[in-house]
Amino acid sequence: MTHDTQAAEAGHAPASAAWPIRLDGVSVIYPNGTAALRDVSLTIEAGEMVSVVGLSGSGKSTLIRTVNGLVPVTSGTVTVGPHTVSGLSGRRLREVRGHVGMIFQGFNLAPRLDVYRNTLVGRFARAGVLRRLLGVPSARDRQVALEALDTVGILEKVWARAGALSGGQQQRVAIARALSQEPSIMLADEPVASLDPPTAHAVMAELARINADRHLTVLVNLHLMDLARQYTHRMIGLRDGELVYDGPAAEATEADFEQIYGRRIQPPQRPAEQP
Amino acid sequence: MSAPASPGPTSEAPLVLPPRPRTWPRRALTLAALAAFTLATCLPAIGGVEIDLGAIARNWRHGAANLSALMQPNWAFVPRTIQPMLETLQMAFVGAAIAAALSIPLTLWAARPTNPNTVTRTAVRAVINVIRAVPDLVWATILVAMVGVGALPGLLTLVLFDVGIVVKLVSEAIDSADHPYLEAARAGGATQGQMNRGLALGQNLPLFANQWLYALELNVRISAILGIVGAGGIGRLLDERFGFFAYGDVSVIILEILVVVLVIEAASNLLRRRLA
Repeated sequence: MTHDTQAAEAGHAPASAAWPIRLDGVSVIYPNGTAALRDVSLTIEAGEMVSVVGLSGSGKSTLIRTVNGLVPVTSGTVTVGPHTVSGLSGRRLREVRGHVGMIFQGFNLAPRLDVYRNTLVGRFARAGVLRRLLGVPSARDRQVALEALDTVGILEKVWARAGALSGGQQQRVAIARALSQEPSIMLADEPVASLDPPTAHAVMAELARINADRHLTVLVNLHLMDLARQYTHRMIGLRDGELVYDGPAAEATEADFEQIYGRRIQPPQRPAEQP
Repeated sequence: MSAPASPGPTSEAPLVLPPRPRTWPRRALTLAALAAFTLATCLPAIGGVEIDLGAIARNWRHGAANLSALMQPNWAFVPRTIQPMLETLQMAFVGAAIAAALSIPLTLWAARPTNPNTVTRTAVRAVINVIRAVPDLVWATILVAMVGVGALPGLLTLVLFDVGIVVKLVSEAIDSADHPYLEAARAGGATQGQMNRGLALGQNLPLFANQWLYALELNVRISAILGIVGAGGIGRLLDERFGFFAYGDVSVIILEILVVVLVIEAASNLLRRRLA
């Protein structure tokens, strides 16, 4: 991380400090009546790396999206660092979001645009009124974005179309986009579900490295229990929108996972399939 | 409707299918309704259209005479058509360019992913729909009455017509696609304006370019006849020569329009293939 020290020496603003996340009695009921989260309370300390596990539809994505206000809470409060997210809107909400990086299962890049322009999206929230109007990045915006691409090792693809890259490369660009925000929290919604196992490990290792080097708070949704055990410190289990597990990830057993899922991990043997 | 129980060489028990849904009564009903409606429109007793096929037999001699006149183009007339033809092309190109510029903000305001505000989106769409509902020749007639005879009302007609087409088609294409990159930008604290200019426009530029070229093709075709109502271009000459029964001249004009339209279409197809 040589460029971090360089940036500090050059007199840039210091990398923002990690923020804690606090959910207090959070419930989310979607307009169609589905209760995605029921009275979830939890505290994540600044700099922790936490995984959220659960079946599809258990509320993992909703939980992570309440942190940056992509999903508004029906009741309860969400606090990140000094800000209460619930109830914010407009300029104030965008300002908080600027401090919260997020990566997605589908990478969410604009495939026709080059890597450079996709990465600069991470600087949008920091643009002043005039730059916002003109859409021209500042020298510092360019510097931060290019350094972020360098950090994730994909700087040589800076002029390539995002859609021309492999899945693993696209997720790296998405990480660089989030890092250009100079965030205090990093959210990851199923970041490796569309990737092959070696690429998945590479991306998880990248997130762990960001957590260690930049002391960012990282909250990551995962399907695979091995990845949760290997890369995260703490694991939160959701079932039907309720918090059913909260403990150290490394010690979670298969029984713990079956308790989170509410059913067995291996299907019972079918007689027809016996040799 | 029983499942076909044809035990193959490898299967021991017949397959049990769930009952197949019965769809044919509905399909038959739809077809019958369509046929009845078509028949009804042909009945003069209830105000249906009267189509007298006998007119073809009665007047064919007349038509044949005109056709044979058209078959003998008066090539000496060509020099007089060049100036109006250039005016037509100018109207088509300038109209398409102005419409392209106008269509960018209007389209982004008319599509849900790029304008989540229901009130402004509905307003823009309503205006576009009204513009589209009025036929181009009607626009031209109204505008000739408003700003006078010449190329200007023709140009305005083409701009209105193009904006209606481009905004509707492109905004609907944007609506029907997924835009996950916009969610990522929103999560990062971007304003809608930043997302639209920085991502949505660049990502959807091929959709725009396609319709802009299509608008240009249509413009060449339409501007050729706008002159009939006094809105400038080759159409005015066409109308005038027709009034003098100068079919040799008319023939030249028609051939010229044909050639120009084909050339523009070929060029636009070439460009479009490049864009894909």
